[in-house]
Amino acid sequence: MKRRVAISMFMALTLLLSACGNGNGNASTGGKENEGTEGSGGQAARAKISIMTPLHMAETPDAKIEQLIEEKLNVDLDIQWIPASTFPDRMSAAFATSSLTDIVNISITGANREAIRDGQFWDISSYIDQYENLKKLNPEVLNNTKVDGKLYALYQGRPLSRQGIIYRQDWAEQLGLSDPQNLDELYTMLEKFTNEDPDQNGQKDTVGLAERGDLVSGAFKTIASWNGTPNEWGVMDGKLAPAFMFPEYQETMEFFKKLRSNGYINSDFPVTSKTEQQNLIMNSKAGAYIGCMCDVQQLYTGLAQLQPDAQLEVFNQVKGPSGKFTVFSGPGFNHPYLFPKSAIKTEEKLKQVLAFMDGMMSPEIANMLYWGIENEHYTVVDGMAVPVKEQGKIDRDVKPYNTIEVGDSATNNRLEGKYDYAPMQKAQELFADNEAYVVPDPTLMLDSDTFTKHKDRLAQIITDATYNYMLGEMDEAGFNKAVERWKSEGGTQMIEEFNAAYEQNK
Amino acid sequence: MNSQLTLSSGKRAHIMRSILKNKWLYLMIFPGLLYILIYKYIPMYGLIISFQNYKSYHGILGSEWVGFEHFERLFGSPDFWMIFSNTIILFALQLLIFFPIPIILALMLNELRSEKYKRTVQTLIYLPHFMSWVIVVSLSFVIFTVDGGIFNSLLEVLGFEKINFLLKEEWFRPMYILQVIWREAGWGTIIFLAAIASVDPQLYEAAKMDGAGRIRQMLNITLPAIKSVIVVLLILKIGDVLELGFEHVYLLLNSTNRQVAEIFDTYVYVTGIHQGQLSYSTAVGFFKGFVGLVLVIGANWLAKKYGEDGIY
Amino acid sequence: MVGDKAWGGRIFNGVNMVLLGIIGLVTVLPFIHVFGSSFATAGEIASKKFLLIPTEFTLDAYRYIFSTSTLTRSMLVSIGVTAFGTIWSMLISVLTAYGLSRKDLMGRNWIMFLFVFTMLFNGGMIPTFLAVKETGLLNSYLALIIPVSINVFNMIILKTFFQGLPDALEESAKIDGCNDFGILFRIIIPCSLPAIATISLFYAVTYWNTYMHAILYLSDAAKWPAQVLLRQIIVLASGLSYDNAVYTDVPPPSQAVKMAVIVVATVPVLLVYPFLQKHFAKGALLGSVKA
Repeated sequence: MKRRVAISMFMALTLLLSACGNGNGNASTGGKENEGTEGSGGQAARAKISIMTPLHMAETPDAKIEQLIEEKLNVDLDIQWIPASTFPDRMSAAFATSSLTDIVNISITGANREAIRDGQFWDISSYIDQYENLKKLNPEVLNNTKVDGKLYALYQGRPLSRQGIIYRQDWAEQLGLSDPQNLDELYTMLEKFTNEDPDQNGQKDTVGLAERGDLVSGAFKTIASWNGTPNEWGVMDGKLAPAFMFPEYQETMEFFKKLRSNGYINSDFPVTSKTEQQNLIMNSKAGAYIGCMCDVQQLYTGLAQLQPDAQLEVFNQVKGPSGKFTVFSGPGFNHPYLFPKSAIKTEEKLKQVLAFMDGMMSPEIANMLYWGIENEHYTVVDGMAVPVKEQGKIDRDVKPYNTIEVGDSATNNRLEGKYDYAPMQKAQELFADNEAYVVPDPTLMLDSDTFTKHKDRLAQIITDATYNYMLGEMDEAGFNKAVERWKSEGGTQMIEEFNAAYEQNK
Repeated sequence: MNSQLTLSSGKRAHIMRSILKNKWLYLMIFPGLLYILIYKYIPMYGLIISFQNYKSYHGILGSEWVGFEHFERLFGSPDFWMIFSNTIILFALQLLIFFPIPIILALMLNELRSEKYKRTVQTLIYLPHFMSWVIVVSLSFVIFTVDGGIFNSLLEVLGFEKINFLLKEEWFRPMYILQVIWREAGWGTIIFLAAIASVDPQLYEAAKMDGAGRIRQMLNITLPAIKSVIVVLLILKIGDVLELGFEHVYLLLNSTNRQVAEIFDTYVYVTGIHQGQLSYSTAVGFFKGFVGLVLVIGANWLAKKYGEDGIY
Repeated sequence: MVGDKAWGGRIFNGVNMVLLGIIGLVTVLPFIHVFGSSFATAGEIASKKFLLIPTEFTLDAYRYIFSTSTLTRSMLVSIGVTAFGTIWSMLISVLTAYGLSRKDLMGRNWIMFLFVFTMLFNGGMIPTFLAVKETGLLNSYLALIIPVSINVFNMIILKTFFQGLPDALEESAKIDGCNDFGILFRIIIPCSLPAIATISLFYAVTYWNTYMHAILYLSDAAKWPAQVLLRQIIVLASGLSYDNAVYTDVPPPSQAVKMAVIVVATVPVLLVYPFLQKHFAKGALLGSVKA
């Protein structure tokens, strides 16, 4: 008796459970099973295009823009949003189970690079010129994405350098300071922001620079490049050498060490998160922020709530001791778009996918991906896009689509933005100004097997040594010992490999 | 039954009888066994990539074999002993400091007279378990930072030197274990409270008749009653010797404390997953499992030797 | 003499109460801070002026996370998965644990070892993914439940509790003519309610927190449980995301939103808790042997 009850419970449960396991999802995502041309007046079947892209927002966007794209480009689009927090895992699972989409939005370093060289992706060098919009992509940027001289990727553009300083203009005015023209003036500014009570509250409770634990996108690399340090690698005696072997790198570490020992920088900066770093600016505990000038909008929003009369200013041209302005350059693209052979089996299909990408570059679609729908998410004023005030709506409907933009405003002719907040508008202009002074990474197009396999582990040795030096936990001898360790664990090999590739490419 | 087994027919009949007698029990176990077969044992073929240079696009069958190369790389790495000793030290802290705390807390809670008060305290001490490590670590940062953290401001007011909790390697271990205690101690009491609740009240009645005080009752009745649960949890804990909570350590790890904070999981994360070197991280997982297996077998044997049930 | 004892007992009780009170406070204060922050303005959080209760009260954070139907829907998914998953896992775990708790079962230790072995070794993400795929669970809610049917740790705890029950219970049931299923459902389970409640809670919390499997196995974002969304918000707000702001111009969610998320993720579990708590009461065994 009891047994029968137990077993029937078991059965019922199994039924209940499986009853919810085979519904199809809503129409915007998931596969559609019935392909073909039934019922729609004999219209040709829409090409099915699938794409995987990281999601940098909390939730997947409204499908409205996706549907508009499907209509305009006559495709059946399947966008798989992958939360950015789990992107690498999700990608490696997709790779291993051959469930990649037609277009994947991934980096071209490390393991992916090995996969590219192994022939897992379509070489699109010979196709790109057949497409009116794709042709317009910037050849230099495309070059930066090349692997072994072959083109595998399309890209979303990024300004080459958005680096600069954001500082409290009201404080500077108070202390008779203006844009820091060189590193000495910068140092003086940070010193005075600390020592001369810029907020006039009679207490010594401010620091000059708010910094976070990030040697690349924090202040360190930017100040290093202002100081004339090469971008990752530089030429020394006619040979490539890593940046940390240059005296300028040493000087930059010294600069930070001095800032910290004098208290001109938040002293826990190696473990400070970006949120905490921004909080220091927002609550008027720090006067300067060095990194992406695009952060000025967000910083001001927070700051204005607490200090309605606070003013921020952006500036880029901080010169080094040489009297020249130099700033490091990014590759000029965001994640490249690659085309896996495991998903695109035929050349015909590849052409379909490229035609779709070409369509994505038409100004109409490019505007939609970046700004949204006209008069709903933005209005056009003097030929520029002005986003509507309701940030939440833009976040939900539009922002996630930013990651599948093809090209950039210079190549896909989408509208430039117009920002209400003057420093934000100025930041856009300074991005463009930086372009004339950028220092590229000379190894970007060179290959080194050791670099591909061990770059993170080796970089960690130097990162640790750099922080320990700046904190005074390590002296020059100690730093040099770390460099020796870097060499012995693969660095020497990396130098040789890069130099061999460098000679070949000359 | 395998006919190659040279069993006397009498013995075989005995086995058959015993199986038939307990057929319902075998039926009960069957779904569980089927589950581990499909989702645990069959996927274990994935472990063979430890002996390969696995490339996801070539698949497990198509990847090149490299023998023990990854294991040699692990044991031959200049950091191996540092990582090993860090792992063991953190584990020792967990075992010696953290492990007893939930037991003590559960015994203390059990002594509370007021049911309402007891429930309130219980609910409060479970709460931290629901905060992810990201939150625990970032809250700690806010409390302990030199740049205006509450703790250092307090030290300053009291006229002490500020202490750089976050960037000094000697503070890493205390921070780690304190956070573990704060987040997990309350949650850990649940099992022990359930064990205490399962004690037959008649035993306490009898002890009271004998004039045993509350402390005596705790030592003579409550503790022995939950001993088997403690032993089982201890064995399971020992099996987890090399599993210390990747996320937690990773978030605490920085350039200044790497010498004491790097453990197997964090080491593999940087060298393995980041680089797509799944083979290497699988090899390390293999090694961790092996160490855990040896220790579990040892601990279980010891437990049985001293008349406990053990876990198998 | 007796008076001394009473005094000793009273002091003991007093100290115990105070100590536990302090411990309770220490654990709950950060949570109150989180709770308070979720109602604070961005400015006030940045200013670090309040510890527990903000001076300006705003519901913006909650408005932000509940402004679309997404969270509400995914909460329902989470509740469904948690409810079904817990019942299913308990059923299988109790059956397995009871079977293996019986000392007269031949091969019991070997079978138990098979289970323990799976705690130490696993094939890794990709073979497991393929197993889920081969069993046809991809993109179904079952993918969040079936592949994690049994947590061996939980099963071992259950088994330990079952083994701790007096043998007399089974004997008396056998005399009444019950078979093993009868014994389990009629005697063992009613006598082990504290353990059943505890392990149910463990399973429920695990199911409630599931997110990685959802992202791996459910390509349809509409099916994601709430944790995917909540974790994503926390990770974004903490700036820990893969390829952080270098690649996006999207400002992360505010601190208040992050804190609101923690509250939203915790409250449901807190609501379930009192229902289970009553089973932790003593005396579950009372009179059962006589039955």
